[in-house]
Amino acid sequence: MTTQQTGYRWIGQSMKRVEDPRLLTGRGQYVDDIALPNMTYAAALRSPHAHARIRSIDTSKAKAVPGVILVMTGAEAAQQTGPLPCFASPPVTQYCIAVDRVRHVGEAVAAVVAESRYIAEDAADLIEVEYEPLPVVTDPEEAIRSTGDAVLHPERGPNNIALQRTLTFGPVDEDFAKADVVVRRKLRWPRSGAQPMETVGALASYDDATGKFSIYANTSMYNYVGWLMAMSLKVPAHKLNIIPTMAGGSFGSKLFTHKVPILAATLARACGRPVKYVEDRIDNIMNCDNHGSDRIYDLELALKKDGTMLSLRMTVIDDYGAYLQFGVGHHGNALAQLTGPYRIKSAQVSLTAVMTNKGQQGAYRGFGSEVNNFAVERMADAAAEALKMDPVDIRRKNFIQPDQFPYKIPTGNVYDSGNYEAVLDKALGMADYHGWRRKQHEARKEGRYVGIGLVSCQERSVFSATEFWFWNHEPGFALTSSPDSVDIKIDPTGKAFVRLHAPFWGNSPETVATQVLAEQLTIDPVDITVTYADTDSGLPGTGPGGSRYTVMIAGAIAGAAKEIKEKMFKVAAHLLEASESDLELRDGRVSVRGTDRGMSIGEIALQAHYFKLSLPADFRSGLDARYTYDHPYTTLPNADRTDMGVFYPIMGHMCHIPIIEVDIETGQIKFLKYVAVHDAGTVVNPMTLAGHIRGGTVQGIGSALYEHYYYDSSGQLLTANFADYLIPTLMEAPENIEVGHVVTPSPYTEYGIKGGGEGGRMGAPAALASAVEDALKPLGIKIDGLPIRPVLLREMIREAQQRRTEDGAAEDLQGPSDWSGRSSREHLGGPPGNAER
Amino acid sequence: MKPAPFSYVRPMTVEEALFALAQQGDEAKVLAGGQSLIAMMNLRLLKPRCLVDINRVAALDYIRQDNGTLAIGALTRQSAAETSPLVLQHCPLMTEAIQYIAHRPIRNRGTVGGNLAHADPTSELPAVAVATDATFVVRSANGQRTILAADFFVGHLTTALRPDELLTEVRVPPWRPAGQGWSFMEVSPRKGDYALVGVAATLQVKDGACQAARLVYNGVAGRAQRVPEAERALVGRNADEAAFREAASIASQRVDPHSDFHATAAYRRDLVNTLTRRALAQALARCGKRSA
Ligand SMILES: Cc1cc2nc3c(=O)[nH]c(=O)nc-3n(C[C@H](O)[C@H](O)[C@H](O)COP(=O)(O)OP(=O)(O)OC[C@H]3O[C@@H](n4cnc5c(N)ncnc54)[C@H](O)[C@@H]3O)c2cc1C
Repeated sequence: MTTQQTGYRWIGQSMKRVEDPRLLTGRGQYVDDIALPNMTYAAALRSPHAHARIRSIDTSKAKAVPGVILVMTGAEAAQQTGPLPCFASPPVTQYCIAVDRVRHVGEAVAAVVAESRYIAEDAADLIEVEYEPLPVVTDPEEAIRSTGDAVLHPERGPNNIALQRTLTFGPVDEDFAKADVVVRRKLRWPRSGAQPMETVGALASYDDATGKFSIYANTSMYNYVGWLMAMSLKVPAHKLNIIPTMAGGSFGSKLFTHKVPILAATLARACGRPVKYVEDRIDNIMNCDNHGSDRIYDLELALKKDGTMLSLRMTVIDDYGAYLQFGVGHHGNALAQLTGPYRIKSAQVSLTAVMTNKGQQGAYRGFGSEVNNFAVERMADAAAEALKMDPVDIRRKNFIQPDQFPYKIPTGNVYDSGNYEAVLDKALGMADYHGWRRKQHEARKEGRYVGIGLVSCQERSVFSATEFWFWNHEPGFALTSSPDSVDIKIDPTGKAFVRLHAPFWGNSPETVATQVLAEQLTIDPVDITVTYADTDSGLPGTGPGGSRYTVMIAGAIAGAAKEIKEKMFKVAAHLLEASESDLELRDGRVSVRGTDRGMSIGEIALQAHYFKLSLPADFRSGLDARYTYDHPYTTLPNADRTDMGVFYPIMGHMCHIPIIEVDIETGQIKFLKYVAVHDAGTVVNPMTLAGHIRGGTVQGIGSALYEHYYYDSSGQLLTANFADYLIPTLMEAPENIEVGHVVTPSPYTEYGIKGGGEGGRMGAPAALASAVEDALKPLGIKIDGLPIRPVLLREMIREAQQRRTEDGAAEDLQGPSDWSGRSSREHLGGPPGNAER
Repeated sequence: MKPAPFSYVRPMTVEEALFALAQQGDEAKVLAGGQSLIAMMNLRLLKPRCLVDINRVAALDYIRQDNGTLAIGALTRQSAAETSPLVLQHCPLMTEAIQYIAHRPIRNRGTVGGNLAHADPTSELPAVAVATDATFVVRSANGQRTILAADFFVGHLTTALRPDELLTEVRVPPWRPAGQGWSFMEVSPRKGDYALVGVAATLQVKDGACQAARLVYNGVAGRAQRVPEAERALVGRNADEAAFREAASIASQRVDPHSDFHATAAYRRDLVNTLTRRALAQALARCGKRSA
């Protein structure tokens, strides 16, 4: 069994988060906490229609409300501000306020600036808009066939297909021809999304003396692509400073939130006063631009009789909603681990990305790979059942073996390292898998439906930019860099100052930076402070996302620390009259190896800052360094896209085993146990990683059992508030998610760290589907869609019971189930029956 | 999510409150715990011109007992009723039901009177009130009247209260002596959510035979619904699994629930069936006990 390499002082410690004291005492300074003199407040008027032409807007009544400063329509805003940033190719035009046409419910049609948010909302109520409704498209399969007025973006082409492409990796047809069995399944992954406690917000001001914007915002990526906001605002990049605020959660959804800051800035320029615009909850749910994947899969897995997996074919339709800000990057992402932890030799993906009248997709913990995991793991279970194998055995049989790393999968991505059996075995042990199989058998005799789920899936980490564009037929901006930077200074008193160039968005960047720097410089964490750069002072910073930030800042800090150490050694060698090669850094002192002669970092820093004449002539004063760390291992895709190159090589892994019981009379699911074992390489902080795993797992339980952005056929979002969009609370979570770690260090990263930010949500949905299906095996029920809501489960159970009565089948508790001849339950992802509110 | 403009009055006595209501007429809304009202105002589903805040009217905050009749002041917080020994002694069905209302912080603010006056058809307390034949004391500047629970609830968020009337007290008649069992059960999407279906059941058993029964449901109609046919199927029979099954089956056929995103009518019927059976079994097990 692999265990964490020891010998580190701070790496691997469950140090308390350095962010917490100010966050927990209400001093976090979220965007809504920031106030500027003369500040005003904005509210938006939201479209009640999913698809309509805007005939006319009358703002006169709103403008007459005392306290109203400005009312702006989309057409007026577009005179000053261009389209929002878009990474799709060709781009899809979207404005911060809709112009001429609304494409989803909730899209802003006008904005009001007033002395208070109350007045702004009162006035927004008085704006009169005349709409001409257009045909609404909400069904992704129907969207493929849309014509005429049902086409959302006619300038892009005569239909609602955003992108259609088939990528083939390896000899798929030959491998299918060799197969003894082909397992097929149709799956439905419904739309859900991140629900951070803080919504998206911005406080923008415009200085007409300098022609410069300042925007406080809780967005990320501002030091990567923030200049795109300047382009939208039609100012040069140096006329826009984006100042990060602490983000009250993101889970991906604040990856690059540009609409809100651009709207606030547009209004601020127009009214000449600072404007604060913070989404309310309904705004955020409808308009956050970060809905998650919404996919229909047709899957085929080719196998040998003995369970050897040969090839995988996926046909997937993905409903992107009304706009396409990140292109189909989510499917680029999924190619990182398309074939899971298995030695599948070839694969094919046929993607049809469609546009519908829903909020657009963005980022949500997993960025499309969580869906791929669901697909692969459902197929592994289906294969086990078809071949009458144990779900554990079929996985074990197909795992990539520890001595096969680095391992290149059919898509071209490389997995750096792993030991999948070690993770599996640890999870089986922690869960008492075999014991529970016996208990399950006993329970069935009592008419109780206990289910054991098991998944073994990948957690790709440290994204590289190529995934955003390599699906495109003609990539517009084929960027290949995704670096992160730090600058570090040691002040004259020997204290360390770290500046990050990406924001806090709910993770623990300060804690990680502190632990890594403490390790590097052998100093105490209390002597380190961490701050965040704005864009004026920013270095390249791609920022968190794709489970990358811990790895990236560890690399950047190690790089900067190396330069600082060199400087310290230079000073110390000179003053101690020793050779640099005889020096060592230990416990915050540079000393001559094997002697007690040395200097503390504080003493060195004092010299470096104030005693130039005591130092070598070529010594530049101060003790600081900046370092930009590039993605450790990226290569280009080839021209015909039969090989995507290496873009996500830092490969984590997990095994989740939930044990649940279904009440077949109510369809409710109860947790009996939950085990999650992860390999995230070298662990920097076991406590915060376990927090990620547990929180992510509960989020995955949300996706599996509760959460659904459900649009009815008229495009109304029926779950636009927290009474209807159900997030699991502590009461719905397993009492204890038992977390285990297996450590296979990455050969490509500093300390061998792998990312671990998304893992829980990347495993739990598939694990829950597996567990529920296992529980209901006696009834022959298949789980092909999410969320597995009690109403739907009960409906399937009722049908199964009726089928049984009609067939006159005896209560055969171990009865076989007919996975093959079964018709797919397409409505599982949808609402029951003729749902009416 | 900010409310439309409104004016605000904060009476200190019942009389002042009644005076304010009489003056404001239809334009006013009573503000109790605010746990339903404020949310609706923030969503601008309600735009009252005036709020009459009764939170300082201390005279409405009490739990008393008078010859076995339980009297609860309208301003009593749900959590106070939940933990009250008097309520547990005189109406354990209510104690059990309150635990299904929302979450503790909401019950700390939300009031018993506000919950009943709000008359959400999925609410637990209206079902309890109907199951126990509670009466409602209401007052206006013109005087006082009492309304039987069965008449108080008119439909979805609608009661027999007139705009100038204040609900001041709920009276629960004496809990029947030994031999009375009870159970409140419910299924909701998550803990604390409004019910998909809930049932308030009481059962009186003597020598194994069922003498009286009450079955009242929340979540299946526009208001708490009693199903007398199912109750009749129990009376005079042996209180056993077979009788419970039959009553449950009748109840599930008699109710006519709606479909919405969270539950179909068929699912709600299934829940009526299952919950009735389970609740009656629990009520039977509790027969003769004072409290759980
Ligand atoms: C997240 C959440 C979950 C909830 N879940 C549940 C649940 O599961 N079950 C449930 O039953 N409730 C639930 N509630 C509602 C809660 O019980 C409320 O407290 C209750 O519905 C209203 O009581 P209140 O004191 O807050 O009244 P308010 O919100 O102040 O008022 C509600 C209505 O009653 C009127 N009113 C209040 N007091 C009087 C009076 N004395 N006389 C005349 N009219 C009056 C008001 O004018 C208003 O129209 C939930 C609330 C929330 C926020």
